[in-house]
Amino acid sequence: MSQVPRSTEEYDAVIIGSGAGGGTAAHVLTAKGLKVALLEAGPMLDPYKEFKEHQWPYDVPHRGADEGGADYFGKGKPFGYFSTTSGGWELEGEPYTVGEGSQFTWFRSRIVGGRTNHYGRMSFRFSEYDFKPYSKDGLGFDWPITYSDISPYYDKAETFIGISGSRDGIASCPDGLFHTPPPPRVHEMLVKKSCDDLGIACVANRRAVISKPLNGRPACHYCGQCGRGCQTASAYSSSQVQVFPAMKTGLCTVLDMSMAREVLTNGNGKAIGVLYVDKRTREHKIVRGKTVILAASACESSRILMNSKSKEFPNGLANGSGMLGRYLMDTVGFGLSGYVPALEGMPHYNTDGNGGAHLFMPWWMWDKHNKLDFPRGYHVEIGGGYGMPGIGSFQGAARRYGYGAEMKKQARFAYGCNVGFAGRGEMIPNSHSYTEIDNNVVDQWGIPVLKFHFKWTDYEWKQARHMEKTFAEIITGMGGRVTGLSAAQREADGISIPGSIIHEVGTARMGASAKTSVLNGYCQTHEVKNVFVMDGGSFVSNPDKNPTLTINALAWRACDYLAGELGRGNV
Amino acid sequence: MSNLVPLEALDRRAIIRQIAFGVAAAGTVEMADAQHVHEATAAEKTAKGAYKVKAFTAAEFKTLGRLAQLIVPADDVSASALEAGAPEFIDLLSSQNTKLAEIFHSGLGWLDAEMNKRYQKSFVNATEKQQIEMLDLLVAADKLERTRLTEEAGYRKSGRYNDFTGYTVQRAGDLGPGVKFFDWVRKLTVDAFYTSPIGIKDVGFVGNGAYTKYEVPQAAIDYAMKRSPFKG
Repeated sequence: MSQVPRSTEEYDAVIIGSGAGGGTAAHVLTAKGLKVALLEAGPMLDPYKEFKEHQWPYDVPHRGADEGGADYFGKGKPFGYFSTTSGGWELEGEPYTVGEGSQFTWFRSRIVGGRTNHYGRMSFRFSEYDFKPYSKDGLGFDWPITYSDISPYYDKAETFIGISGSRDGIASCPDGLFHTPPPPRVHEMLVKKSCDDLGIACVANRRAVISKPLNGRPACHYCGQCGRGCQTASAYSSSQVQVFPAMKTGLCTVLDMSMAREVLTNGNGKAIGVLYVDKRTREHKIVRGKTVILAASACESSRILMNSKSKEFPNGLANGSGMLGRYLMDTVGFGLSGYVPALEGMPHYNTDGNGGAHLFMPWWMWDKHNKLDFPRGYHVEIGGGYGMPGIGSFQGAARRYGYGAEMKKQARFAYGCNVGFAGRGEMIPNSHSYTEIDNNVVDQWGIPVLKFHFKWTDYEWKQARHMEKTFAEIITGMGGRVTGLSAAQREADGISIPGSIIHEVGTARMGASAKTSVLNGYCQTHEVKNVFVMDGGSFVSNPDKNPTLTINALAWRACDYLAGELGRGNV
Repeated sequence: MSNLVPLEALDRRAIIRQIAFGVAAAGTVEMADAQHVHEATAAEKTAKGAYKVKAFTAAEFKTLGRLAQLIVPADDVSASALEAGAPEFIDLLSSQNTKLAEIFHSGLGWLDAEMNKRYQKSFVNATEKQQIEMLDLLVAADKLERTRLTEEAGYRKSGRYNDFTGYTVQRAGDLGPGVKFFDWVRKLTVDAFYTSPIGIKDVGFVGNGAYTKYEVPQAAIDYAMKRSPFKG
């Protein structure tokens, strides 16, 4: 590829992807004085242009239905017009395929900051037992690291990012270093009372939203619109909190609109840089680095490695074990909602708060598995309150009451009386769930695409049934009635569509043995010492804790190790 | 709440300025950008006095207005969906989307034809009683259809019933096109109403502000607890 233009500069690290893992790597490495190039497949983010925080629906003529009412035809933005998603389940010109008999949906973000610009900000530490699941119940696999290895990095990540929460001493969800959480809303207080009666733990939620100023970021102003992007960066996003400050050091060069294609090697077992497509010109270019960090999201990173074939690495880079793409996992999702008459006629108040739920239920039966017909557990997220009316908010009332004065009265009366519950559970990694290169399809950049295979097993189905029963008990315990499955179609069949919870992890798992894993405990590939994977790809299991905080912590730890090894001349 | 920070005033700008110098990317941070949408909306409002219909005939637009008054009528709390701009909303989206325009053109055509058949009058020229009679028929047929679909889905799932040719719950029949149209016009009219300043005030949404602290009023807590099984 001698004709391909290459950077004159050799960076200390070339980072592919600017989300939770890549953003952390850019921040940590530049803070150590290292020079990095950060590749992002989407454009640079300008929060003031992209983030629709504080807009009313009537501030845009289409009210949020999007141009031509695209939303009514299922063609609007995922999570609505006002959300700051830059990407979605389908990307024009960048397809993926799904194997026969499988179902999988893959959410990709294409912008600096990736999915951290809009994610739910739930920030839970994995527990001690989460790192040794096989030792606990004989299913799945143990991680090569323990809680004590990562705990100091949870401390660092939490201190830097800022997490609100309370210390509750719950074994399934270890305490962190928290900012003061906001008080619970009224419906959440009722949920907690109902949970108390049922013996279910219900505590302050833990979210990456700060309640006091931190590193120039002002405290949350409680508009409840984290999903639209936070212009004040009071809610964490890797773009605002890590990438932009890293750029200001002068040590981080962002190459946006740059789609990584392959990691290049020198024939002597070392990576020398990354071959990428400049999306603006469709040109192939090379950026050179002493180390390469893949943080493009679990599946995308595996795709790049699998596509990095050479004489030396005929099965793709770092794939001597054949484990690349294996043990793909998502979170088990199930939702149920209810109507709570106790809330009827309540004096309306502002329920925006810090965005997500102010309380949540950590897994409460972690030591009572003998009473259950499924392994592992789940946490519960709560929805409710007087949300800002938007497209679709009152369609339920319209269908129920037809039209006219009565419908209008009922819509007003029932507003804010609904609560929703979303279970987020751990699946057991299985051999039917994996991704591979589809040799028959390339994307618009000419890069071979991924093909997904996925199966839930009885473990996951039984867990979802336990969620259903539990949520119904909580609702009736509050004097409410179950109104049905979550409005979200994606959860309407009793268990979420694989991929739809957007917690897809695994496919480049870490492990003690190079024969059965891709990475070591420092997210370094067993085979190529100067190649690291710092996104969710390294996950050995997918505990019922949202993955972002653990991606932050693992990336931070890996960067400390990388910098040390680089200094010692070992990579 | 006493800790309200007036959003449009100094504080938000101060916050934004702080970010612009603090954590924002180098380059083009246009302070005025956040305002451009507001300005565009203001311009639209000024033009509203002489709203120029884009996708419909004058008669069609008038029918959409009458439907808006019937679907979300004025009451002692707030004005109707007509005042909330439902016809303009439907017109705008239809002008951008031929598929949507077709749904409304054909639906409005069906409605007037059906009204002429039943009452020898177009929808807008019929009496209110006749208009309501028509809509009630559509709502009833819609409910029946939904019930049928739910039952059918239930049977399908159960695997007990593979052949549906013999399954004879009454269908919407002649009213079918009207049921579909009413679903669309209701959907967009209701959305237009509740996303308008009138509708947002009607349901009593009080958020979208900026605060230094989040508080939950004791009166609300006491009210719900007293009505709950927990009694505080």
